[in-house]
Formats: sequence, C-alpha cells, structure tokens
Amino acid sequence: MLNFEEELQKFHPSVELDQQEESLYAQDTTDLADVLVGLIRDARIEGEEAAAAAASVEE
Amino acid sequence: MFCYNCGHILTSNDFCTHCGAEVRTYKSVMLTAERYYNIGYERAKVRDLSGAAGALRMCLKLNKDHVDARNLLGLIYMETGEIISALNEWIMSKNVQPKKNVADDFLDKVRSNPTAFEEMTTAVKKYNLALSYCYQDSMDLAVIQLRKVLSLSPKFLQAHQLLALVYMHIEEYDKAARELERCAKIDKNNTLTLHYQQELDQILSLNEDKKDIRKPRKKEENDSEAYEFNTYNPSSSVEPVIKPLTVKENTGISTIVNIIIGCVIGIAVSLFLIMPGRIQQESDKMNAKITEYSEQLSSKEADIQEKDAQIQKLEDELDSIEETMKGYTGADGTLNSYGYLLTAVNLYMTGNGNSLDVANALANIDENFVASTSDESFLTVYNELRSKIGAEVSKAYYDSGVTEYNSGNYSEAVRYFQMSYAYNEEDSTALYQLGEAYYRSGDLDNAINTYNEVIEKFPGMTNAYNAQKRLNAIEGES
Repeated sequence: MLNFEEELQKFHPSVELDQQEESLYAQDTTDLADVLVGLIRDARIEGEEAAAAAASVEE
Repeated sequence: MFCYNCGHILTSNDFCTHCGAEVRTYKSVMLTAERYYNIGYERAKVRDLSGAAGALRMCLKLNKDHVDARNLLGLIYMETGEIISALNEWIMSKNVQPKKNVADDFLDKVRSNPTAFEEMTTAVKKYNLALSYCYQDSMDLAVIQLRKVLSLSPKFLQAHQLLALVYMHIEEYDKAARELERCAKIDKNNTLTLHYQQELDQILSLNEDKKDIRKPRKKEENDSEAYEFNTYNPSSSVEPVIKPLTVKENTGISTIVNIIIGCVIGIAVSLFLIMPGRIQQESDKMNAKITEYSEQLSSKEADIQEKDAQIQKLEDELDSIEETMKGYTGADGTLNSYGYLLTAVNLYMTGNGNSLDVANALANIDENFVASTSDESFLTVYNELRSKIGAEVSKAYYDSGVTEYNSGNYSEAVRYFQMSYAYNEEDSTALYQLGEAYYRSGDLDNAINTYNEVIEKFPGMTNAYNAQKRLNAIEGES
C-alpha cells in the first residue's frame, strides 16, 4: 500500500514567476567538461611545476 | 566540436591541431553527451517525456553548452506545465548561443500569448497552494485547487500525479485511475505514474476479491465465453482475477438512474438550501423598499398636513377679508351708509327732493352704524343735515301721523310720531301723540312709558298734564 506521507515528499513546489531569476542563478552549471578541463589544467600545472623543480635541482 | 583550450575546430586526432592540447578524453565526454541527447530526442519522439528529460539532463551534465539539449529540455518542461523551468532553459540556451537559436521562437511564442502565460503561472501558484493543503491534510481544498490548476493548465503533469495521489488517499479510485490515464497520455513512461498505476491496480484487485468473496458466483459461465483479465501484478500475493465479459454492470440504466438521483438531489438542495436564502434575500429587499416607501409616504403626509394648514389659514384670512368686505359692501355696510348720506346731501343741496326725500335717504342709514362709527366727518355731515331738515321733517311726519291716527291706523301713526319726535325732540306734542297712538293701539306698556317720558321731559306743560290724566285714567281702569 502507498504511504501517503512518503509519496507526498516526492512532490516539490514548482518554481513561480517571481522566483525565476533566483532559480536561474541557483542552477549548478558545472559540467563534466569543466571538471575534465580543470583536471587537465591542474595536471599540466603540476607537470610544469615538477619540471621546474627538477631543473632547479639539476642546476 | 571545438577545442576546450583554444576554441579551434577539432579533427579526428586526439589532440588539437591548432594548440596541441590533449582532447581524447574531452572528445569522449562530448560524444557521450551527444549520445545522451540522441537518447533524449528518441524518447521525446515517443512521448516518454520523463525519460527524455533524464537523458537530456545527463547530456547537459556532460556538456552544459549543448544548445539543442537545452531547447528540447525546455520544450519538455513546457509540455508538462513547468513554464518557469522551460523559460530558464531557453534563456540559458540563448546565453550560450545568442544568434540563430530556435529558443528565440519559443520565447517569442510565450511573449505573444500573455493570457496563456498568465494562466500557466497562476496554475503554478495554485499547484503550490494545493501542495501546502496536502501537507495540512486538507484534502478537499487540495482537490479543489488541483482541479483549478488543471483547468488552467491541462498538461501540468505533477498536478495530475498529485491529484491522483490525493484521490487514492481519499479512496476515490475511479478518479485516481482517470488522472493516471491522463498522466500516461502526457508522459508515457513516467516512473511515478507507473508506480501509482501499479498500486492502484493492486488496490482494485483486492477490492474485487472482497466483492467476489461476499457475493460468489452462482455458476460458472460457458467455457466458450471470452474472459477479461485484470493486470497481473507479480509482486502481489493476489492471483489474477478472471472476470467474464458478460458480467457487466448495466451502465446505461445506472447512468440514467444516477442522473435522475442527481437531479432530485439538486432540486432538493435548491429547495432547502438555496431557495430559503433567495427568499430571505428578496424579502429583505422588499422590506427595505417598503421602509423607503413608508418614509416617503410619511414625508408626503407631513407636506400635505402643512399644505392643509396653509390652506386653512388662507381660508380664514379669506373669510376675514370677506367679512370685512361685507362690512363695507353689505346692506348695512359702511359704503352703503356713505352712499345714502351722499344721496341725502345731494337731494338737499340740489333741491331735487323735499325734506321728506332727504329724511328717507337718511333713514336708510343703519342706526347701529351711526352709533358705532368713529368717522367724525360722517357724523358731522349726518347731524348737520338732520338739524337742517329736522323741524320741517318732524312736522311733515307729525302731520302724516295725525292723518293715520284719525284714520284709525294706530300702528302707522306710532311709526310717524316716532320719526317726528326723533327729528325734533323738543316737540312735546309729537311725544304725547305717540303715547296716544300706543294707547289706542292697545299697547298700554309703551303708552305708560311714553306718558311718563312726557311728564318727565316736559313738566308743567299741557301735554304733561294730559299725560298725567291719561295715566290716572289707565290706573283707574286697571
């Protein structure tokens, strides 16, 4: 049998017109591509830093 | 597909030919996003809207700049009545690709029909209100609000689902089934809809079992008859129920009976609930009108009384004026008295009449008026004229009186002797003859009074002596 209270929890208030702007800005727009590019950049920076450290050690 | 580092178009290589950036994983992510978009598109085409929305959201999680995915997701939101979410998606799509974006068309269509937009936003507000009623356990209000929502926005999927849930909660399973059918028409493969449908089927099959236990069939029907199967639920412990198609409710008759019962209830409600209120309302209106008319009537009556008082006052004034006028113009009025006096003066001065004519004219003047008037001029002329003609008139009346006395007309003689004495009060003979005329006419009282007056006014004169003799004779007779 359905538990009405539990089922009711699945329904959420719909976004109203005066909340539109707020909801628009509240959206998480980070996608996997952003994450990936961040990882690549981090890896590149780490690589460059490691290379720079190795060069200084050699000197 | 563009390089994430420099924005240059990527080739089939695993690196950017422009900047040399490693793009193998990036391309893999982009292609996965594209696949999700395709899945979403395919699901949307067969009206599996919730499945399509899930795939498109996944696509956007992988690639937030996927314009087509955003536009399609906006369309799906619009189709399920969530207009604000749809607008958000299209606005973000426009932000990614400002030109040559189909989202422009969608936004223009929304802008060009402000009434529909207003209705949809109102529906959203009412949906939220209905949800709060559900949390407050006010199911009746929630149902009313949700019906309003669906009249404004018939494709509002969440509202249909919530209404179905409420109907199931209040055990109106037929209505819940209808709502779930509508949900399925909007979104064929919605998980929540399917879940509720499954629960509803279980409940209905349980109810059917109970009915069967309460009312077992009399006999099995012919094996050749067709059978109808309820939906089989493997998770349920209840076996599928086989219901012969011939065992049907007589829906036509029951519908008519229900309509008749509904009409009877409606008439009863109107008679016992609505009509008394209407009657009371009309009665109140009538009472208010009656009060208004009564006030107007009272005001008019007051006006009429005031007018009557004015009329009475004017009539009194008119009577007074008429009385005054009568005093001037009547037979004994002032004007007539003046007229007679003027006639007498005219006769005397012009000589057109003798002294008797003048005296007759003066005799017409009312003695009461002469006694009461304060007009000195009138009295002066009147008395002067009388004194002028007094002696002559007195003698003329005396002669006439003697003639009448000798003729035996004592009453006429009395009148003439009176007028004679009136014009000349020094004439004791006229007064004595007056007494004699009274005596002869049998009026002894006036005769005695007149004799006494002679004795009193003219003592020592012959007439006084004769009067005393006459008095003695009268006393002797009595």
